[in-house]
Amino acid sequence: MFDHGTNGTSLPGLHAALQPLLSARAVTKVYPTGAATEVRALNGVNIDLYERELVVLLGPSGSGKSTLLNILGGLDTPTSGTVRFRDTDLTEADDRMLTRYRRETVGFIFQFFNLIPSLTARENVELITDIATDPIAPEEALGLVGLGDRMDHFPSELSGGEQQRVAIARAIAKRPEVLLCDEPTGALDVKTGMLVLDAIGRVNRELGALVVVITHNAVIAEIADRVVSLSDGRIAGVRTNTIRRPISELSW
Amino acid sequence: MVGAMSPLDKKLFRDLGRMKGQMAAVVVVMACGLMVMVMERGLVCSLEHSKSEYYARHRLADVFCELRRAPNSLRTTLSHISGTAAVETRVLGVATLDIPGMEEPAQATLVSIPDDRPPRLNLLYLRSGRLPLAGRRGEAVLSDAFAQEHGFRPGDTIDATILGARVRLQIVATALSPEFVYELPPGGIMPDNRRFGILWMGERELAAALGLKGGFNSVVVDVSPYGDIRTVRSELERILAPYGARIAYGRREHPSVNMVDEEIRGLRATAVAFPLVFLSIAAFMTSAALTRLVRLQREQIGQLKALGYSSREIGWHYTKFALVAVVLGTGIGGALGLWAGSRLVLLYHPFFRFPSLTFHPEWPSLFFGLVASTATSLAGVATGVRRAVALSPATAMRPEPPGEFRRPAVRFPQLQNLAPPSFRMAVRNLRRKPWQAAFTGLGLAFATAIPVVSVAMDDGIRYMMDFQWRLAQRQDVTVSLVEPGSYRAMTELAALPGVLYAEPFRAVPARIVAGHRERQLAITGLTRAARLSRLLDEEANPIGLPRGGLALSEQLAKTLRIGPGDTLRIEVQEGKRPVFTVVVAALLTDFAGVGAYMDIEALRRRMGEGSTISGAHLEVDGNRWSGFFAAVKRSPRIAAVATTRSVRETYDRMMGDMMDITKVIMSLFAVVLSFSVIYNGARIALSERTRDLAALRVLGFTRNEVAAVLVGELAILTFVALIPGLFLGNQLTRLILASTVTETMRIPVLVTSRAYATAATVVLVSSFVSFGVVSRRIIRLDLLGVLKARE
Ligand SMILES: Nc1ncnc2c1ncn2[C@@H]1O[C@H](COP(=O)(O)OP(=O)(O)O)[C@@H](O)[C@H]1O
Ligand SMILES: [Mg+2]
Repeated sequence: MFDHGTNGTSLPGLHAALQPLLSARAVTKVYPTGAATEVRALNGVNIDLYERELVVLLGPSGSGKSTLLNILGGLDTPTSGTVRFRDTDLTEADDRMLTRYRRETVGFIFQFFNLIPSLTARENVELITDIATDPIAPEEALGLVGLGDRMDHFPSELSGGEQQRVAIARAIAKRPEVLLCDEPTGALDVKTGMLVLDAIGRVNRELGALVVVITHNAVIAEIADRVVSLSDGRIAGVRTNTIRRPISELSW
Repeated sequence: MVGAMSPLDKKLFRDLGRMKGQMAAVVVVMACGLMVMVMERGLVCSLEHSKSEYYARHRLADVFCELRRAPNSLRTTLSHISGTAAVETRVLGVATLDIPGMEEPAQATLVSIPDDRPPRLNLLYLRSGRLPLAGRRGEAVLSDAFAQEHGFRPGDTIDATILGARVRLQIVATALSPEFVYELPPGGIMPDNRRFGILWMGERELAAALGLKGGFNSVVVDVSPYGDIRTVRSELERILAPYGARIAYGRREHPSVNMVDEEIRGLRATAVAFPLVFLSIAAFMTSAALTRLVRLQREQIGQLKALGYSSREIGWHYTKFALVAVVLGTGIGGALGLWAGSRLVLLYHPFFRFPSLTFHPEWPSLFFGLVASTATSLAGVATGVRRAVALSPATAMRPEPPGEFRRPAVRFPQLQNLAPPSFRMAVRNLRRKPWQAAFTGLGLAFATAIPVVSVAMDDGIRYMMDFQWRLAQRQDVTVSLVEPGSYRAMTELAALPGVLYAEPFRAVPARIVAGHRERQLAITGLTRAARLSRLLDEEANPIGLPRGGLALSEQLAKTLRIGPGDTLRIEVQEGKRPVFTVVVAALLTDFAGVGAYMDIEALRRRMGEGSTISGAHLEVDGNRWSGFFAAVKRSPRIAAVATTRSVRETYDRMMGDMMDITKVIMSLFAVVLSFSVIYNGARIALSERTRDLAALRVLGFTRNEVAAVLVGELAILTFVALIPGLFLGNQLTRLILASTVTETMRIPVLVTSRAYATAATVVLVSSFVSFGVVSRRIIRLDLLGVLKARE
């Protein structure tokens, strides 16, 4: 469908004319871990991400995927380097602007389904629809992920896959321009994983969001427009798929 | 129920529902503090309100002066004293009353009211009936409390003996007076409505009965707004000195006014002290509970931030937890305070006779309480919330890194090896969270302190009564003569039926001057061999009456800033009114009233008189009381009798309810406090250590052993807090009793083992009950399940 470039920074073809939605330049993240030691989780990452793209982040555990995703989503700030969303420099943004960015633009899905345990599925989604500007109705969002009939259940009354789908409904209810998913299927079995991925894919297609998915699973990569590999805090390679396989054809 | 509520508010209420035990603990403690504050401030407000309105509307005089006798012609001179708005002269006296059905005679203070016009000052508030009519003889107004006690009504008659003459008076009204809000009998320490009342009579008739025809022996003055009370007082004293005037005293020194003010002062003190303790403990408990909640919900906070909730919104969400506690606490505490205040005010009715004494809640104090508890709870919550929202969402969503393990600064190697592992673990846990342990300990210490105070106060009062009326004043009855009598009077008193033993005394009113300080009081002369009325030191050991000098109440010596060896000037205001100097020879302990004693012979010498007596202390055969009293009632020379046993009886009757209620409230507070503090501490410890405890289960500890680790922590705290708590109770008792010291009464600080034992029992029992509640929870908890689930 799209003619993608072969690395994260230079963008031939169609993208050359487009402005990236999110772009990271020389992003470094260092965690101090002790008096003398430190962990360099990201080490000079450059990447541009475009509207309507579905990008998969691949890489071994500890390679910095989550750190990068958190920084892109405004959940964390880099030690050095810049991250821009359209014309806004997120690294310069204050807490208020970051909050607005998270509130209006980004949807997040985590590996451990992070829902508020004391709220029902519908109420968890309402957390977003309550504060977003043009949200999808919670019922509709839950309907989109196939949970129309489980809306009044508490997280503890839902299976892992159902919880993750509530998290997706919650993330998409705000009609995010950017949907960031950190190992969304990591804690799920294959069949449920497929359902979840299908839901994520639909957000990409139907809402036109930029979707970034972290996974350990190389097979998932086949549904993506681009596959970015991280290793040791650096981008090790970018592969562009010319044909995206439908999720139903995936097997692993 | 949760229709239009925002999802965060739904979360709030569900989370609150899950921690309702803890919330209840916080709310109850907060409510206790507010209840005391609202109740006592309301009582202060009610007394102030009733008092100022009553004094103003019924024109209570500003200056009072008693004298021997001045002719009515002096009135014009008095009314020309500059700065006065109204001057009224009157006649005061005493009478004994013969009440049908009552063995002993009752006493009355007689007060005149003008014959031909309504009084200008100290206006009567008539409860029933009318004022005596001009020219109608034998009509009297009776004080309402006394009338109620004996069921007198207008139209009834009452038999009085005035200066030895028996008169039958017709009661035309029952009334209250701003001058006698607190009806203190002469020489008494509390009102005794059975044995003491006030009678108001027409001026001419009363003057004649008291042998003061055409004269007066009391002046009351209303100082104009532009007048200076001090100049009015000294002018009065100057003009009246030739007529035997004693000191002209201001309203504040008036016994009734003084007692009302003292009560207000005491209430003010407790209205601050107790709420302060409770509110600060509640604040700590809120803070501990919420710090824990915030820590447990760290990931949820990260999640909310990730969803786009701002730090302010999240901070506000957690602040609401504290606010709910505050609103409930102040709401319940306020309501209870209003209720308790409106009940408690009724207990004041027998003491303070106002036309109306109703509960006036002081709204600003409720508001202040709301603000204070909001502020303290928020201060408690602020740190935890601020720390939580300051984390980046990414960090917040990771589990909290385990705390660094530090070696304890102090180690007890022997203990460590001897104690069972659960005890060692408990000690280690306490040491890891020293602040939390300290505050829980503080709460427990206060819980221990409160019953100490209530028992110690009770013991103190008992001791005071015992000291004063069993050890110091050992006579069964004191009789005072209408006029000082000769030695023959003494033989007559000793010959009264039933009298086993009699000791004379001579009491003269005098002004005691030490430098620029002075006091008006009676100097009592006793025989050196006196064994009924004794002078005692602090340990209740008798001190002999000094041969030449004065023995002075320690309390009085303190206010006059003098000690043994100092010289005082005495200006006697009776007889030939001699002025002499005397050395302070000894100090004595006195809990009720202040006294100055001399050898009766020495006093008589200074007075320039022979074997004069003012009355006698008597020992009376218990089986012959009725004969004794009958004779006393018949005797024209006896002005007053005071029986020692009646003091105790009166105390029980008047103060009993008040003390019982105080004791119940205080014990309740102690139970609430210790239970709440322990429950709160246990819940926090439980939630923080669930994983540790679960791990113990995996290692093969039994459920009971696991419970022992947690309860062990609290039990250690309870025991450790016990001693400081008892000490705190001792200090608190001192503080509170110091705030209740008045001229007429001083409750000794007497913290006995009974107080300590009671306090320890109350706290230990309520602690063990809450241990039980907590252990049951631990035992029922699926600890192994906890390990599998992610928190
Ligand atoms: N808060 C943190 N403190 C210290 N080290 C961290 C923190 N977060 C991540 N790291 C470290 O940074 C590196 C990258 O972590 P992460 O981005 O989570 O990797 P991935 O998601 O690819 O597994 C790892 O070595 C990890 O241990
Ligand atoms: Mg990761």
